[in-house]
Amino acid sequence: MALDRLLNVARKEFSDHITSRRFVIILALFLVISAIGMHTGIGSYNDRLESYNQQLQYMEESDVQIKVVGPYAGWMPEKPSIMLIFNAMMAYMTTLGAVLAIAIGFDLVSKEKETRSLKSLLSHPVYRDEIINGKALGGIAALGFAMALALAISLAMLLLFSIVPTLEEFVAILIFGVISLGFLLAYFAIALTMSTVSRESGNALIYTLVIFFAVSTLLPVLGAMAGEALAGEMPEPPQTAPMPTPMGRTVTGTASGGSFTTTSSQSVVHRVNEGPDPEWQQYEEDMKAYIEKRLLINDVTNLLSPQMNYYKAAMAVTNPRMAAMVSSPYGPTPEETPGLAEALSQVWMNIAALIVFPSVFFAAAYVGFMRMDIR
Amino acid sequence: MSKSLVSATSNLARAEYGMIQTENLTKIYNGKAAVDGLNLTVGEGEIFGFLGPNGAGKSTTILMLTGMIEPTAGRCLVNGIEVAKDPLAVKRIIGYLPEDVGFYGNLTAEQNLDYFARFYGMDAGERSERIAELLNLVHLDGVTQKAGEYSRGMKQRLGLAQALINDPAVLFLDEPTANLDPEGVREYRDLVLALAAEGKTIFVSSHILSEVRAVCRTVGLLAKGKLVAQGTLEEVARTLASPDGDTVRIVIETRERLPDLDDPEIIDIERNGNRAVIRATTDIRDRLAATLLEQGLHVREMRLEEPDIEDIFMAVYQR
Repeated sequence: MALDRLLNVARKEFSDHITSRRFVIILALFLVISAIGMHTGIGSYNDRLESYNQQLQYMEESDVQIKVVGPYAGWMPEKPSIMLIFNAMMAYMTTLGAVLAIAIGFDLVSKEKETRSLKSLLSHPVYRDEIINGKALGGIAALGFAMALALAISLAMLLLFSIVPTLEEFVAILIFGVISLGFLLAYFAIALTMSTVSRESGNALIYTLVIFFAVSTLLPVLGAMAGEALAGEMPEPPQTAPMPTPMGRTVTGTASGGSFTTTSSQSVVHRVNEGPDPEWQQYEEDMKAYIEKRLLINDVTNLLSPQMNYYKAAMAVTNPRMAAMVSSPYGPTPEETPGLAEALSQVWMNIAALIVFPSVFFAAAYVGFMRMDIR
Repeated sequence: MSKSLVSATSNLARAEYGMIQTENLTKIYNGKAAVDGLNLTVGEGEIFGFLGPNGAGKSTTILMLTGMIEPTAGRCLVNGIEVAKDPLAVKRIIGYLPEDVGFYGNLTAEQNLDYFARFYGMDAGERSERIAELLNLVHLDGVTQKAGEYSRGMKQRLGLAQALINDPAVLFLDEPTANLDPEGVREYRDLVLALAAEGKTIFVSSHILSEVRAVCRTVGLLAKGKLVAQGTLEEVARTLASPDGDTVRIVIETRERLPDLDDPEIIDIERNGNRAVIRATTDIRDRLAATLLEQGLHVREMRLEEPDIEDIFMAVYQR
């Protein structure tokens, strides 16, 4: 019976969400923009695929010797992943997706207080926890529906352009969907909590937006500042020894997700004529330790930001090579793109944070609702 | 426990406690007692008027009786079930019309009622039948507007329908006529009397004496969280009118000038020519009549002065 009551609330909430003008408009906007982004992504994927095919063809036509000796020894061109196409959706998820999650959550409880429907509801045989859990479940189902719709449209687009995902890619798409849902739930949970603690929906919306901007914009900046302040003095380069000549390879990658950009570079440095200079070697090691310390402080702070967690976790799925470089700029450059499981294992903290963050706010909403004065 | 055993237990408890019973019921908000040691009994089938000025604690009492808030101290029982211990069992047998009732503005009356009806485990057929019956009862059948577009009077009528969705044994109505037009008020009164005739217990909370007077057989008067008096309206009025004991006021008028009256029961006399208002410890009209007759006086009028209920209640409200 308890489940019946919970499901009755959830069913009504889900139905309210998917028939509300607000939800439909924002979801439609999100889907249209994502579809346009994906269309561009598909074009770029096709270009890369063509280039990959050309490289393969070139290698097949060339002398076998080229593959064994010479600068390209052991190098094989890598087939582009269709997950790159989902990068576009990732960017819109952190903005429009968050707006959608906030839009369905910010007045869930406060509106019932304003219209006094909560008193009518509570006069019937239903426990308070069934109401708040039903509301959460209904909202989660609505966001799940939105996410499923977005993924269905993206799959349809892929098939429309004759791109058939492999099984691994299909699993990656599903995982991307789950991670995205986790991100949406973070903002839905914040909005629901604010709606529970505020008397008016207007205030609940303002408080939610304040938190949204604080964790998405202010927190990364504060994290960087904290990193700078706590990591100590930046090591000075040695004055006596001459500057070593950079050689070998330099890999620079830039990835953007929503409103932030990360650049990662890696240098392998050694001197040309002599052996390695101990002073420069020491400087390199100090610098590496300094940067890693700063990154660690930054990463810990960013665990509080759903945007950053989502960005890292989703990047591990859509662009694992880039994700690996971002997570350890001083580590060895991956010779091969890491597998899905490996990429996800590198961002487990972020995935855990994406689970913990909404859970904490859902718990806060639960406690707030149970203690709410309904006079 | 079998259904018949539950019913038997419930009947026993009701016989012992009355349909609605509060025992030292107390609710404290921010250190201030909104309801203070309330002891109240309402029998089965009664229409009970819960009177009191705004802020007296009437709504808080109803919230505790309907299992929506828990008392700070004391307890309340409905049909022998302690509300705080088993609020859901109580909610299944009661209906509640809150003051300034609200609904889901995006749903029609039918959809609102259907949502509430599902909590009682009614199947689709039962729900549909009951909802049609209730909407007809409150004259909202055929209204296709969503509840958000309803007038306050329409909302109040829908509120009455939602309170009756489970065919409750006990009905709590908080300021039920606040938003109704005169026709709506008349219909509401007829409905309450009809429901009481079916054996339902009805608890009407209001600050309007005339409203309670129109339908209620017994009343309780609440002031500053405390029950000031309980009984029939006349009993309550009499109790309140003589806070210093059981004194009575006798109005007397004779054709001739009224002579001096000497009776040990008389406390004082206000004279005005051949008229007087006598305050006495008991009803001494028989003795007075005999005395006046002995003196050969013609009595034009002799009656007990009933306290003016409105004035008495107003005095309590203003305390």
